[in-house]
Amino acid sequence: MNPMNDDRFLDLAMKAVAQQATAEEQAELDALLASRPELQTELEQLRSAARLAKEALPLVSATEATAGELPGYARGRLQTKVRETYGAAQTAEKEESKEAFGSWRWLLGLATATAVLALIVLPSVLPKPRVSVQVAMLDLAGTTRGADTNEVALLRQAWQDAPFESFSQAAKLEDWEKDWPQEAKGTVAKIIYDRSAGEVRVVGRHRGQPFQKTFPLENSLSETLRLAADYVKGIPAK
Amino acid sequence: MSDAPDLSALQRGDADAWDAAFRWLWPVVFAVAQTRLGPFLPADVEDVAIESLEELVEAAQTVKRAEELKPLVASIAHNRAVSRLREHFAQKRGGGQTESLEARQEQEGAPELAGGDSPLADVGRGELATLLTELQAELKPEQRALLADFFLHGLSYEQLAAKHGLAIGSVGVYLKRGLEALRRVGERHPERLKELEAFLR
Repeated sequence: MNPMNDDRFLDLAMKAVAQQATAEEQAELDALLASRPELQTELEQLRSAARLAKEALPLVSATEATAGELPGYARGRLQTKVRETYGAAQTAEKEESKEAFGSWRWLLGLATATAVLALIVLPSVLPKPRVSVQVAMLDLAGTTRGADTNEVALLRQAWQDAPFESFSQAAKLEDWEKDWPQEAKGTVAKIIYDRSAGEVRVVGRHRGQPFQKTFPLENSLSETLRLAADYVKGIPAK
Repeated sequence: MSDAPDLSALQRGDADAWDAAFRWLWPVVFAVAQTRLGPFLPADVEDVAIESLEELVEAAQTVKRAEELKPLVASIAHNRAVSRLREHFAQKRGGGQTESLEARQEQEGAPELAGGDSPLADVGRGELATLLTELQAELKPEQRALLADFFLHGLSYEQLAAKHGLAIGSVGVYLKRGLEALRRVGERHPERLKELEAFLR
């Protein structure tokens, strides 16, 4: 076959594979194949590669996708999977660490005793610093449902002396989150219960540095609030 | 890939690292699930995407580089979507009937979408991830765009020439080069890609 026929065969074969060939082009291709049966193999190769292209190219494009946001409700489920998968391994790691430090136990004991003494003596001498806490709830559906009342009570109970705000618009919550008291010298923490995202978020400032921790709502709100409260207790007040 | 998550933190089970990884990988799993399931089971797209991320949590333990995560999770999502389609069509056709998934898809109006008879349907997730990575490397973005416009979007030679700035006489040659690049990748996975077995003769 001369180069002219090669090019023509290629065009006809491509169109046939893509189901774009007209009746005349298909007839011309059939005639070429009848006169040159070895071209049938090439046609089949093109057809197979084209089929792979149809299957694989959308996947390659999808692999490069960057648009879209993980739904809030999925986070808790996924983090549970992380804990199930890596939780045991982490525990084993901690146990190994404990063993490795076994020979230093007497020194650690001395340090612990000193720390305990400091904890007993110092609070009686110095005024107790506290993390300043503010609490808010975001309920995009509004605040009229009965379930909310119980949730608000749980939030108020968890941080009894903290000011409480309830928002039904994300933008207003966002403004509240950005509003940090100027006069506060110590650590400030804001606890946000986001109903629609199914999470409790702790955001704050410690020595001018922001910190944040999210607690997905898994078993119950009270359980999640307890985890958040434990976290807040662990934050240094100054 | 500067925005890739810290793999060692993921493999330690760090919750914050996983949170970031889930957000980074979500567009990929969603796009794959949408591509495969969107026309048939749109309500299942998000579910399959989340399940794929769950499966990745375990699969990530054997990953060597963070850059492998996106192709891997795309493969997981693809295989899960195909399984979901198979279950769906098996339920619809009931017992005793043996028509292929592809035939069923043709009846439902989208024969070109992947299903049980797809050349990728039974490729393991690891191998499919490798295949996708190699395709990304082997096929230039413009080659991929040209092939997609012709085989997926049905553009004519004239339209391809205008869109991609090619002489109409060279469109076939460019298409062939693209398919050859694709074929080279396929030939590295001959034992799995049943559709490409013909090339090994």
